[in-house]
Amino acid sequence: MDILYLLIPLSVVLVFFILGGLWWAIHRGQFEDIEAEGERILKDS
Amino acid sequence: MLQVTLWRLFDLDLHQVASDAYPAHSLPMLSVGTDSPPLSSDVPTPGMASPPDAALWLLDDPQEWSAFSRPNSRAADCWESNVVIEGMHCAACSLTIEDALTRIPGVVSAQVGAASHRAKIIWSANEVKPSVWMQAVRASGYRAVPANDAFASERRKLETRQALWRWLVAGLCMMQVMMYAYPAYVAHPGDLTAEMEQLLRWASWVLTLPVIFFSCGPFFRNALRDIVQLRVSMDLPVALGMVITFAMSTAGTFEPGGVFGHEVYFDSLTMFVFFLLTGRWLELRLRDRTAGALEALMNRLPDSVERLRTDGVYERVAVRRLLVGDAIRVQPGETIAADGVVLRGETLVDEALLTGESRPLPRAVGSQVLSGSHNLSSTVEIRVEQVGEATRFAQIVALMESASATKPQGAMLADRLAKPFLIGVLLAAAGACAWWWGRDPGHALIVAVAVLIVTCPCALSLATPAAMLAAAGAMARTGVMVRRLQALEVLASVDTLVFDKTGTLTRDAMVLGLVQVRPGCVPAEALAMAAALARHSLHPVSRTLAAAHRDAGASQVWNCEAVTEHAGQGVAGVATSIQSGGAEESRTFRLGSAIFCDVEQVATSGAVVHLSDEAGWLASFELKEDIREQAAEAVASLQQLGVAVSILSGDRSDSVARIAGLAGITQARGGCTPDDKLTYIRGLQAQGRQVAMVGDGLNDGPVLAGANVSFAFGQGAPLAHAKADFVILGEQLMSVVQAVALSRRTLRIVRQNLWWALLYNAACVPLAVAGLLPAWLAGLGMASSSLLVVLNALRLARPEKSKKEP
Repeated sequence: MDILYLLIPLSVVLVFFILGGLWWAIHRGQFEDIEAEGERILKDS
Repeated sequence: MLQVTLWRLFDLDLHQVASDAYPAHSLPMLSVGTDSPPLSSDVPTPGMASPPDAALWLLDDPQEWSAFSRPNSRAADCWESNVVIEGMHCAACSLTIEDALTRIPGVVSAQVGAASHRAKIIWSANEVKPSVWMQAVRASGYRAVPANDAFASERRKLETRQALWRWLVAGLCMMQVMMYAYPAYVAHPGDLTAEMEQLLRWASWVLTLPVIFFSCGPFFRNALRDIVQLRVSMDLPVALGMVITFAMSTAGTFEPGGVFGHEVYFDSLTMFVFFLLTGRWLELRLRDRTAGALEALMNRLPDSVERLRTDGVYERVAVRRLLVGDAIRVQPGETIAADGVVLRGETLVDEALLTGESRPLPRAVGSQVLSGSHNLSSTVEIRVEQVGEATRFAQIVALMESASATKPQGAMLADRLAKPFLIGVLLAAAGACAWWWGRDPGHALIVAVAVLIVTCPCALSLATPAAMLAAAGAMARTGVMVRRLQALEVLASVDTLVFDKTGTLTRDAMVLGLVQVRPGCVPAEALAMAAALARHSLHPVSRTLAAAHRDAGASQVWNCEAVTEHAGQGVAGVATSIQSGGAEESRTFRLGSAIFCDVEQVATSGAVVHLSDEAGWLASFELKEDIREQAAEAVASLQQLGVAVSILSGDRSDSVARIAGLAGITQARGGCTPDDKLTYIRGLQAQGRQVAMVGDGLNDGPVLAGANVSFAFGQGAPLAHAKADFVILGEQLMSVVQAVALSRRTLRIVRQNLWWALLYNAACVPLAVAGLLPAWLAGLGMASSSLLVVLNALRLARPEKSKKEP
């Protein structure tokens, strides 16, 4: 069970990594206008 | 580049700006640019180097403020501005902003809509400048952004992004904290070693930090603002609850032997923050959709258009730079930016929000298109005939904006109640805490937290405006504009509906009635002769005759090359016809009034037009008003709703009776003067009836104003002049019926909302005081109760199949 002393702090760090990924996604506008990207291929210009 | 400068405009700290020191130089046009296409080269670009605190002064240029303001009729030099307020959360906020604004000399009035987050400010250009009152809004802790600006929508996008991010942080951290809390719930005594428990608490604490310091930011900021300004609002109790829980749990983690005990509530804390943020987030989305129809309409115009340059090349220019006479190109899927005439191309347009006509309408070369309508099928080139405030679209937007900033009576009551209610909550929480303190300080605090969090004055203050806005949005989609939200409340209780004119029940066009002819002549032949002349004239009577001949499907026997038109009398001309034997026959006809045709005046019930030739009188055509298609249906539906229908008209009694008979109305009075009408309505009101009036909104102003609530047909008339509570944009009479039914549903939903909010608070506060409600459940209850109110209101936006009212 000693491994938990390593895994629990690791999980905290992991959460921060995931949050970093989400920050990137949101602020790059990944969640806005979800349909537009799919429709873009159908447009001429 | 340009945008970066503009961004700063509202971010700068206005406390530095001395209100009386305007710079001598005035910065050029604040052109609202779009992302990619460059603006036309003649736009002077405000340099990046311009000092940031000069930015608000930009708006003191009349050309700038006219983008979000229009002259007010109240006095010369009075302007009415529409701005979006940021940082608002509930009804108490709107009162604060109104206070701050009206305290400035020169601001005549200020109205802030709690649900729409829009403010209408009337101010005098002689005494005050926009930057001054914008600064006042800023000083009270909010931010005013000119409405109808691409800028505002950009700003909103960033706000949504930030809200989503806060919510995700809270959600992810909540899930992980829940994991760390789980062992403590299931472990038997002795299962968990002391170090392991401490480690889990440490981990929970670390993950709660981003939730408290980032996700809860807005709550704390708003609460702090309230404390500084010595007032209470929604966020104060919530923020207080969060601080207490966090402080307590932190103490429990690092000093288990302290006065707060060793219990930690990180799981509860993160959970209710998550619930609250979920509530806020959904509310934000729903509010956008509730006010959606309004918002969608107001922000419908594109920022830029493709204008044809003199050298034949299209260039992108800001819509505000369009001039009358410009040629613009509109691609399919784009919104037409100005009223105009199609120069090239042929397309289908959607004018649903402008006229209530839901079908796509064909538009060929030479036909009119309205700004704000959608181009559906193909690219067209349009010559601009009207821009900016002159367009019908701008008039509609102006109507809607003034409506969405007015407050219904119920909402005003809720506003006044909000403050004492919140103070009561704070007292209750303090009382509960004091009561439990003696037994267990830790428990006492968590009870107080539950009380603070569970109460939801938001539901109370949102109950009325949310429903009203949703109803106004739904009406806008069927082509009815609400000018005063209060009118919705009145409309729901209407039991008598009076058509002010036969013109509201009839169409502008007429139909051919009885035809009398000279002995030896066939009516169809006479019509053919008349139509030959009528085709050359645009007079309504002539058009009716020509249309009647065309509809009859008769062949064109008589041909007329040219006519002379005598204004107000008739037309005369020579018509020829090819006889069966090949011989040609020419006769001189006169078509018009009795005197013009030199025939005896005969008394008839409707309008009559005569036809004569060299030999004298030939035929008489009787013309009747044509009843609107849905008149009978609409009257029947109204009667089904329990509304008595009658007609008051200035027309002759017999024609009024005819129309009434066709529409199925029993109560009809003709030959009324405006005074007669007003007396009649007063008489009905004296009997305790609630009267709705339907008129054309132009010359029947006093009568419409005399009724409890009024409708006007906005077709043709300048909308801004229509003096009615509701303006019907299309031609459909059924709109009136739908409006009545919808207003009743609205009132029902408002009542449901108010009851729900009252019951919820009445039930939950005592439970929380008694210590029976855990903090996380309180957060869930609070978030869901205000969501329920908004969701309930949203039902109005959904079209209901013609359900019969009880």
